[in-house]
Amino acid sequence: MEKHYWRSLAECENRGELAAAAEPEFAESPAREIEAGPSRRGFLKAAGFALAGGALAGCSRAPGEKAIPYAAQPEGLVAGRAQYYASTCGACTAGCGLLAKVRDGRPIKLEGNREQAISRGATCAAGQASILGLYDSYRLKQPLAGGKPATWEGVDRAVLEKMERIRAGGGAVRYLSETVTSPAKQAAIDRFLAQFRDARHVMYDAVSASAILDAHERTHGARVLPHYRFERADVIAAFDADFLGTWISPVEFARDYAARRMPPNMSWHVQFEGRLSLTGSKADRRIRTAPGEIAGRLAQLAAFIESNGAGGDDLAARLLQARGRSLVVCGVNDLDAQLWTNYINHLLGNYGATLDIERASLQRRGSDRDLADLLAELKQGQVAALFIDAVNPVADLPGVAGLDRIGLFVSFAGSVDETAERAHYICPDHHYLESWADAEPVAGLVSLTQPAIRPLGSTRAAIETLAAWSGHPAKAYDLIREYWKDRFDWDRALEAGFAEVPRTHAAAPRWIGRKPAPPAAATPGYAVDVYAAVGMPGGRHAYNPFLHELPDPITKTTWDNCALLSPAAAASLGVGDGDILRIEAGAAIEVPLLVQPGQHDQVVSVALGYGRKASERFANLGPRWINHKPTINANGRVGANAAPLLAFEHGLLRYQRGGAVVAKTGRRIELALTQTHHTLSVPKHLAPAGGEVRPIVREIAPAELGKPEHAETHEELWPDDHPYNGHRWGMAVDLNACNGCSACVIACQVENNTPVVGKDEVRRRREMHWIRIDRYYSGPPEDVRVAHQPMMCQQCDHAPCETVCPTLATVHSDEGLNQQIYNRCVGTRYCANNCPYKARRFNWFDYPREDRLANLLLNPDVTVRSRGVMEKCTFCVQRIQEAKIEARRNGAPVRDGEIHTACEQACPAGAIVFGDLNDPSSRVSRLAHDARQYRVLDELNVRPSVHYLKIVRDEKQQGEKHHG
Amino acid sequence: MKSRILSIVLGLGVAFSLMLLASRAAMFHLPGNHQDYEPVQPIAYSHRLHAGELQMQCQYCHFGAESSRHAGIPPANVCMNCHRTVTAPLGAVRAEDELAQKEKRAPRPVVSAELRKLYDAVESGRPVAWTRVHSLPDFVYFDHRAHVNASVACQQCHGPVETMERVRQVSDLSMGWCVNCHREANRTGIAGRRVNASTNCSTCHY
Repeated sequence: MEKHYWRSLAECENRGELAAAAEPEFAESPAREIEAGPSRRGFLKAAGFALAGGALAGCSRAPGEKAIPYAAQPEGLVAGRAQYYASTCGACTAGCGLLAKVRDGRPIKLEGNREQAISRGATCAAGQASILGLYDSYRLKQPLAGGKPATWEGVDRAVLEKMERIRAGGGAVRYLSETVTSPAKQAAIDRFLAQFRDARHVMYDAVSASAILDAHERTHGARVLPHYRFERADVIAAFDADFLGTWISPVEFARDYAARRMPPNMSWHVQFEGRLSLTGSKADRRIRTAPGEIAGRLAQLAAFIESNGAGGDDLAARLLQARGRSLVVCGVNDLDAQLWTNYINHLLGNYGATLDIERASLQRRGSDRDLADLLAELKQGQVAALFIDAVNPVADLPGVAGLDRIGLFVSFAGSVDETAERAHYICPDHHYLESWADAEPVAGLVSLTQPAIRPLGSTRAAIETLAAWSGHPAKAYDLIREYWKDRFDWDRALEAGFAEVPRTHAAAPRWIGRKPAPPAAATPGYAVDVYAAVGMPGGRHAYNPFLHELPDPITKTTWDNCALLSPAAAASLGVGDGDILRIEAGAAIEVPLLVQPGQHDQVVSVALGYGRKASERFANLGPRWINHKPTINANGRVGANAAPLLAFEHGLLRYQRGGAVVAKTGRRIELALTQTHHTLSVPKHLAPAGGEVRPIVREIAPAELGKPEHAETHEELWPDDHPYNGHRWGMAVDLNACNGCSACVIACQVENNTPVVGKDEVRRRREMHWIRIDRYYSGPPEDVRVAHQPMMCQQCDHAPCETVCPTLATVHSDEGLNQQIYNRCVGTRYCANNCPYKARRFNWFDYPREDRLANLLLNPDVTVRSRGVMEKCTFCVQRIQEAKIEARRNGAPVRDGEIHTACEQACPAGAIVFGDLNDPSSRVSRLAHDARQYRVLDELNVRPSVHYLKIVRDEKQQGEKHHG
Repeated sequence: MKSRILSIVLGLGVAFSLMLLASRAAMFHLPGNHQDYEPVQPIAYSHRLHAGELQMQCQYCHFGAESSRHAGIPPANVCMNCHRTVTAPLGAVRAEDELAQKEKRAPRPVVSAELRKLYDAVESGRPVAWTRVHSLPDFVYFDHRAHVNASVACQQCHGPVETMERVRQVSDLSMGWCVNCHREANRTGIAGRRVNASTNCSTCHY
C-alpha cells in the first residue's frame, strides 16, 4: 500500500481529499485588497502627482547622487570587493568558527569556517541570524547610570568609588555570567574578583547542563562535560537530548551525525522523548517517554546490559554489539538520569571512545547549585555588589528577588533587558562582531574573534571594563595577546580563525563511580516540559525578527510559543489549536495550544525564550495597512515566558516536572502556522490524466538500496532546442541527511534581502522565505514518522511559470536557470499560480525598511524588491556571477565546489549540494545519478534541476515496542 | 465671447511655450536616460589634462576596475602621490619664479585654488564628495572587472574621456545599448579574441 503523508491533523483525518490542497495559491482574493485601497479622490490626487512627477522626471537632468571615496583608503581594501574575516560565533557558547563577509566596511553575512573543528563550514539558524544583532538599533550606544546616558569616565569613577567602599566593608561580591568559554576573559574575571575578600563567580546556562557536569564529578572525580563524538558511534541512544537541534553544540553534532547516516553504512539511533524534537524526527526508532520515566528507562537499560543482554530488547543487544562504538546521551537536567547514563556508557566502554573527557567540552560549565545559592543570598539581601554579564536572570529564571537590596548592581548587557533595567549601571559590551575575543569550546581548541567592524556605539568590551576596574586598564586585544603570549603563532591563528594548543588536563579522569541507586518513581499526571526551540534557543535572541518568523521545524509555528499537547490529550480537554491554556506547575502561565502529533499524552511542552521585553519592539512590525493586526500578543510581547514553570530541585534547575495542571481559559488566538501553506499535493480528481500521483517525499528501505527505479520517459511537448553548452546549474538535496534545522532558511534570508513580514502576514500565507522546509508526517497521529524536505525554486527546464508570464519577466537562461527579472515584472502572479512547487513569493507591500541601521545588513549584490513584484530562489545567481567573473579573471574554469549557494553553505548536515550538471565529475552530477535520486512531481515532466535523494528508513524497525 | 478670448490666450500661451522649448527639444530624454549629463564637480578636475595630455593610465586612479565590480573614485591619498609635489599648474609656478627673479626674492610656494580643496580634504580627513556621473538603476549589476579583463576599452562605454575637461555621460547606458554591444562582441570578438558576452537576463539582473 502506498504510504500516506500528511502535514496537519486536519489533512490526516481527511484522507484522500486534501482539504488544504484545494486552497488557491493566494489566501485572499485581491478584491479585498482593493476595497481597502484608496478612495476615488485619493486616487485622482495620486494620479495627478504621478503625472506631475513623471513630467518632472523627464526634465530632470541630475540624479544628484554622490560618489564619496575614502580620504585615505585602507590598504588591501577595494570598493565593491568582499573581505572575509575569520571569527567565532557569539550566538551561543558552542563556539562555531565563522568567516564574516564584509562589504565596504560592513559585515553582511556569516559563513561557517571550514577549517574550524566545531563549525566545519556550517552554522545554525540562530548563528546565521545573529548578524542582525550588530545592526540592532535598540542596542545601547553609551553606558547608562541610573537609567540616564553617562560617560565611561563617569561610570568608572562612580563604580570604583563604590567598589572601594565594599572592599573596605568586606561585603559579598558576585559575578554572574553565562558559561565563559574565553580563557582570557576568565582570567580577567578572576583577577577582578581577587580584589575582594568575599567574591564568587557564578555561571549558569539558560539551557543548563549542570546535571551532566555534576554526574561526572561523582563518577569521574572531575566536573567535566564530555566531548561527544557522534561520528564514532554506530548505535546512538538519546534520552530527551535534542542534539541535532539545540543541545550543547548542535552544528558540530549534526555534522558528525550526518556523516554516519550515509547509506548503506548507517548508524542506528533510538530516541526516547516526550516531545517530538528535531532529533526524534530523524531517529530510526522513537519511543515516547514522559520525562519522569527517563531515569527508569535508563536503569532498565543498564540492567539489560549488565546481564549481557539477557531479557533485554533490541536496543540493549545492539548497544552490547557496539561496545566502544555506541553512545548514550541524556539531556535531562536530573542527577539520577545522568548517573545512569554515565554508568551505561562506562559499562559499554564508551569513555575514551565516543565520549572524550580527556579533551573535554567547555561549552557548558554553569552550576545550578551555585546559582541557587546566589539566588538565596540575593533574597536574603546578603549581596553587596552584583555584576551581570551576558545573562538575563530575571527573565531566564524563576523567583529572582532581592535585586533592589544590592549596594552596587552593574550589568554588561548590550541593551536594556529585564535584568539590566534594574541595574544601577549598564556598561554595554560590544556585539561579538565588533570585538576582540577568544574562546576555547573544546579543550585545546582556541578559536579567535576579531572585529569585523569598528564599534557602532560607544560600547566597551566587558574584558576591558573588568581590566579598568582591576586597576590595570588595557585593550581587549592586548589582554588576549598577553594571555596566549607564545602558545601559538598569533598571525597564522588569526588568519585561520583558530589554533590548537596542548591540552590542559594532565590525564584523563578515570571512572570512580558506582552503580547508581534506583531512580525515584515518576510523579503521576501531566508533566510540564520546558524546552529550547530550534529557532529560539534562548531569550537572548528574542530581539531577532528573523528567528521569530522562522517556522519551527516541527510545529511550524511562527511568532509564538505554544503549549504542545498530543491529539488525545487535547481531545480529552476539549481544546484545539489556538485555544489559550493555563499551565500550572508551581506558577502558572497562559499559552495557546498547538496539537502536536507524536507528543506524549501526559506531557505538555512549552518553549523558553519567549515573552521577552526585547520582543515589545515588534508591535508595529509588518506592512501597515487597513487590515493590519499586531505581531505581539495581548501581553505586549511575542509569546509568553515559560521561566515561571522552572524550579530548583536538589540544586538543579528542573526543566521538566510532574504534577502540572492544564486547564482551558476559554479564550483563543489565531496562530501563525505555516504547516499547510504552499501545499504541493494535488487532489486526485485534479491529477493529470493517466499520470499517477506520486508522493512528494519518497522513502526506501535499506534492503532496497542500490536498486535504481526504471527511468521514466515522457512525451515532450516542447522542442528540445535549449542546448546547455556551458554550465548547467543544478542542485541535489539529500533528504536522508536533512534534519530540518532551518539554518538554510535564515542563510537564504540574510543573503537575499528577504523581508520579514510579521505575524499577521504569515497568517495570510504571505511569508517571503525563498527556501522552506516542508515537514511531512506519516503514520498514525500518536506515533508519527517525520520527513523534512527543503523546497525552493526547482529551476525547471520546462518551467510552467515561464510560459504564462505575459511580460517575459521570468525566462530561462542558457545555463539552466529560471530567471526572475524584477524590473520586468508587473505582478500578474500568473507564474505563482502555475508553479507546481509553490516556490514563488509575491511582494504584497513595500515591506518597511525604515530602520536605517538594520538596512546596513542588506546584501548590495541583490536587489531589494519593491511592491508588486514576484520573487523566488535564484540559486544565488549573484554568487554564480561572482565566481564566473573571478574565474575568467584568473583564467581558470569554475571548479566544482567553488560556488556555494547560501543554503548549501550553511547546512550542517551537508544535505544540499550545488554544482554544474554538465560536469560529469561534479558532486551534484554524481548525486543526480545516485540510485536514491528522484525528482519531485516528476510526472508533470517540468524537468526540475533539483534532485532529491530518498530517505532511507526501515519501516519494520519502527514503532513503539515495549521493553522486555 | 469670454471663452473665445480665453481660448486664444491659452493657445498663444501654448504656442509661446512650444517656441521656447523647441530649442531644447534635442536635449529631451526619456526618464532615466541621463545621456549628456555633465555635472559640475566639487573640484574642477580635468581628465583632458591627466588622461589626455599627461597620458596617465585610467586604472592608475580607477584601480578597482580590474578586480572589482566598481572602478572606484580614487581616494584622496592616490591624488597625493603626485600632488604632494605638484601644487599648481606649471604656468603658475613659472610665472611666480619669473616674478620672484624680477623682484629678487625666493619664489613663494604656489597652491592652486582647486588643489587647496584636495589638501583640505587630506588634512581634515573629510573626503571629497564627487557627483556621480554614470549611474545605473539599482536592479542592474554592472561589473567592471568582467569588461576590463575582456579587454573592453574604457572609451567604449565612457567615450573619449581623455578629451573632456569635465566628464560627460556619452552613452545612454540603456539596456538596448548594453545588449547590442554584447551581441556584437559575440559576433566579432574583442581585440581579436573570442568572447562569451552573455545575454542572459541574470547576467545583469538579480
